[in-house]
Amino acid sequence: MLFFKLLLKNRQALIGLAILSIFILSALFAPLLAPHDPKRRVGGIHQPPSAEHILGTTRLGRDIYSQVLHAGRISIAVGLAAGLITTIIAVVTGLSAGYFGGRIDDVITFCTNVILVIPQLPLLIVLAAFIGQVSPFLIAMIIGFTSWAWGSRVIRSQTMALRQKEFIHSAELMGEASWRIITVELLPNLISIIGSGFIGAVIYSIMTQATLEFIGLGDPSSVSWGTMLYHAQTSSAMWVGAWWDILVPCVAISLFGAGLALLNFAVDEIANPKLRANSAMRRWKKMQKQIARESQA
Amino acid sequence: MRFFLRRLSFYLVALIVAASINFFLPRIMPGDPLQIMFGQQMARMTPETVDALRATYGFTDEPLIQQYFQYLGSVARWDLGLSVREFPKPVSEILREGLIWTVVLVGSSTLIAFTLGSFLGLLASWFRGSWYDSIATPLSLVMQSIPSVVICLTALFIFALGLGWFPTGYGYDPQLDPGWNLEFISSVAHHAVLPVLTLVVFQMAAFMIPMRANMINLLGEDYITMGRAKGLSSSRVLFQYGARNALLPSVTTLAMALGFVVGGSFITEVVFNYPGIGYIMFQAILSRDYPLIQGHMLIFTMVMLIANLIADLLYVILDPRVRTGSGDA
Amino acid sequence: MSALLEVKNLCVDYITDQGSVRAANNVSFSIQPGEVFGLAGESGCGKSTVAFAVPRLHNPPALISSGEILFEGENILHFNQQQLQAYRWAKVSMVFQSAMNSLNPVLRVEKQFADMLMAHGYESMKACRARTGELLDMVGIHPSRMRDYPHQFSGGMRQRIVIAIALALRPKLMIMDEPTTALDVVVQREILQQINDLQRELGFSVLFITHDLSLMAEFADRLGVMYAGQLVEVRPSQELLRQPIHPYSHGLTQSFPSIRGPIQKLTGIPGNPLDLTKVPDGCRFAERCFKATDLCREQEPQLIPHATGHVACHHPISIAQQEMSHE
Ligand SMILES: Nc1ncnc2c1ncn2[C@@H]1O[C@H](COP(=O)(O)OP(=O)(O)OP(=O)(O)O)[C@@H](O)[C@H]1O
Ligand code: SF4
Ligand SMILES: [Mg+2]
Repeated sequence: MLFFKLLLKNRQALIGLAILSIFILSALFAPLLAPHDPKRRVGGIHQPPSAEHILGTTRLGRDIYSQVLHAGRISIAVGLAAGLITTIIAVVTGLSAGYFGGRIDDVITFCTNVILVIPQLPLLIVLAAFIGQVSPFLIAMIIGFTSWAWGSRVIRSQTMALRQKEFIHSAELMGEASWRIITVELLPNLISIIGSGFIGAVIYSIMTQATLEFIGLGDPSSVSWGTMLYHAQTSSAMWVGAWWDILVPCVAISLFGAGLALLNFAVDEIANPKLRANSAMRRWKKMQKQIARESQA
Repeated sequence: MRFFLRRLSFYLVALIVAASINFFLPRIMPGDPLQIMFGQQMARMTPETVDALRATYGFTDEPLIQQYFQYLGSVARWDLGLSVREFPKPVSEILREGLIWTVVLVGSSTLIAFTLGSFLGLLASWFRGSWYDSIATPLSLVMQSIPSVVICLTALFIFALGLGWFPTGYGYDPQLDPGWNLEFISSVAHHAVLPVLTLVVFQMAAFMIPMRANMINLLGEDYITMGRAKGLSSSRVLFQYGARNALLPSVTTLAMALGFVVGGSFITEVVFNYPGIGYIMFQAILSRDYPLIQGHMLIFTMVMLIANLIADLLYVILDPRVRTGSGDA
Repeated sequence: MSALLEVKNLCVDYITDQGSVRAANNVSFSIQPGEVFGLAGESGCGKSTVAFAVPRLHNPPALISSGEILFEGENILHFNQQQLQAYRWAKVSMVFQSAMNSLNPVLRVEKQFADMLMAHGYESMKACRARTGELLDMVGIHPSRMRDYPHQFSGGMRQRIVIAIALALRPKLMIMDEPTTALDVVVQREILQQINDLQRELGFSVLFITHDLSLMAEFADRLGVMYAGQLVEVRPSQELLRQPIHPYSHGLTQSFPSIRGPIQKLTGIPGNPLDLTKVPDGCRFAERCFKATDLCREQEPQLIPHATGHVACHHPISIAQQEMSHE
């Protein structure tokens, strides 16, 4: 609870949360907020922003404002789903490796190391290319199942550090079951790492989804920020001067990513008070200056 | 030495894993793997070329395990099959032509991002809590969470299309003949500015943030305090006592970050039509040139492994505790 | 004789999110040339905080909020960066609490001598090497090893290297903050013996901090006892340890077994160290003191001259009483 109190006192966290809530709410209520069907021709070709189409139209005469709202639903959903899968696998593997050690650790560590040296995007591309045009659901799955290695490694090393601690030893001596030690003693201490890992995974998944769709590996009939970029690029929007067609999905992805990044920054600061550049630091500076001034006088 | 042998054998295994993915993917997909991979082009091939492809990929009637070793053997000989799109050019040859561009692009941008990012992180830790720190640090994180597609498109739109400062694409002026002359080299440099800069922006936070965190943790270490107590100047302490030690973890990140850079460079090449292997890959995706796509993953895995090896070497050079063996670190 | 170091009413605060914590409050003491001054007290009472103030080594969030630190009559709190750099190590050197970690792991030992020597006027690497060899020899390490890295030495050797570095510029004062806690008892003895000999030979002053009172008895000329950021008793060490006047010092001496004498029962001190965020109006020790009265709880005792030194207590234990109980 203290954690949430600190979070609400943190400026970066507040900005981040505000951005995220706007996006999530507008995605949830997209059908109500969007004036048009995102997949239907409702205006002229590449119309600049106007009263009727406040963010302009695409090459196919679709309303960009309606598209970006609907696209948010898919992009955010894919990000959350892939982030969740990534985090769950990372936690399970990282915790088991760190807690049980020995053989289990050897096997898991070996796997994570191998995955870490195989470059992510080329691997994803090979997978996506063989599957064909990949639906958002499949994108979430393949991102989720290939991106957990880094998180797993971090959680493993933290678990190993915690294992040395007194309270884990005493729980073991008291004969507590391993699953109880893991869930009751270890997990709560890993919450901030898992949390910031999850946020990072969501950022990464949204970015990766956009990349895969941009290069044409996604399903072009679905409406997401990535496919919006794809259509804008293939219709040479930038070259014919239809900057709004490119700008809108760019801004949407960037803002959402920025919101997540700010939130993550705040979580990290709260978890590592040492890294904080906080009010105490400013107070220290002020007092130091004042003392210097007085001693001069 | 034992350390390096261990690492080398690990890298070998990683390469085999990557090759195995290539081997099994077409086979677990429904349908005839040869059909999946070569599709319509099969009709245009002579029986001999089809046989050559079968041999490379091990698509024979032999048991799976034998096919598998056949494929591994081809990879070991760096025989990655023939491209479908530019049939019958070998994949390895196509990739070799693109590799130099990508290596220069990724190498120079990583070097710049590493130097600049580490330095900025160092400053942020030293001036912790100043306005610089409280703006630069979150800002770099925000930049890092913007997909490279967005960064590249924005840069292209503003600096190439809008302001016209830089060319909109390709690696050099196509009217020039490649050669070691000033005109050509300056054309290459001019064309590289935007791609390199976007990659630098994309990567910088990956070095800046850990550097700041490491430094802040280090500033509490006794040997840093001792450095100050010895009457050394702040910059001395900052660089010789702080930075060098804080850089150690960054070196490991360097190799790891490369995996992400590879992704970023891929998009950069696509957006700027830069003639590296990323762009070649993009073309391969458009025409579903599977041998080329697969070769791409293998070659990037190789690049990653080599980068990791370099990082290992660098670590050994920077940290005497690894070099002289008997360390407690 | 004028004092080498005079600390007057030193206050050091830690500025945290939860507010300021005063870890050293009105600390005053002085050290004479050639004297070994000890500082004792429970963990967290502020010994290191005081020690770090002398060469002005505090990092944020620590802040020297008031007081004076006079070294040879000059207030070092007014020094600018250059003066400070020249003063550090040349006048005051320091051996840290975890000296194991006070050598930079990625620099050769020779380099860690040289950067300091060069910062203080040595010009050639050759001169630095010569001096380094001399110093290593002095602490019993073969000069040929100066090109090794710190991790190639044992803990005790590393500590000796740090001491050699600390001696390099013939400082007038050496601060030792628990210089041997990380070492095993035998090595600890050896090193202290060495420091002792060097101190006799070279005549520098020492500000010596340790948990171990029996070490103090052998090593320190005078002893200051700290409790919750304040000095509560300052007297010649032998006397203080034999006949502590302040109830806290008394408890402290009872908590430690004497190495030479017969084993006494360790009575210790009941209760826990004071939480510095909740400082009472009266005596800080009242909560745990067996002699506490209402006066103690209302009025804070001041550090005033008493017997052969200074004591801050409303009801000091009389020496006569103790002598009776000893018989
Ligand atoms: N960075 C910090 N932030 C806040 N409080 C601190 C900080 N460092 C020290 N303190 C507080 O200052 C007090 C004095 O600490 P100090 O390190 O001087 O104790 P010490 O007497 O040297 O203890 P020890 O014998 O364990 O070394 C402690 O109560 C501690 O809680
Ligand atoms: S002043 Fe009172 S409470 Fe404090 S130490 Fe002396 S006798 Fe004890
Ligand atoms: Mg201490």
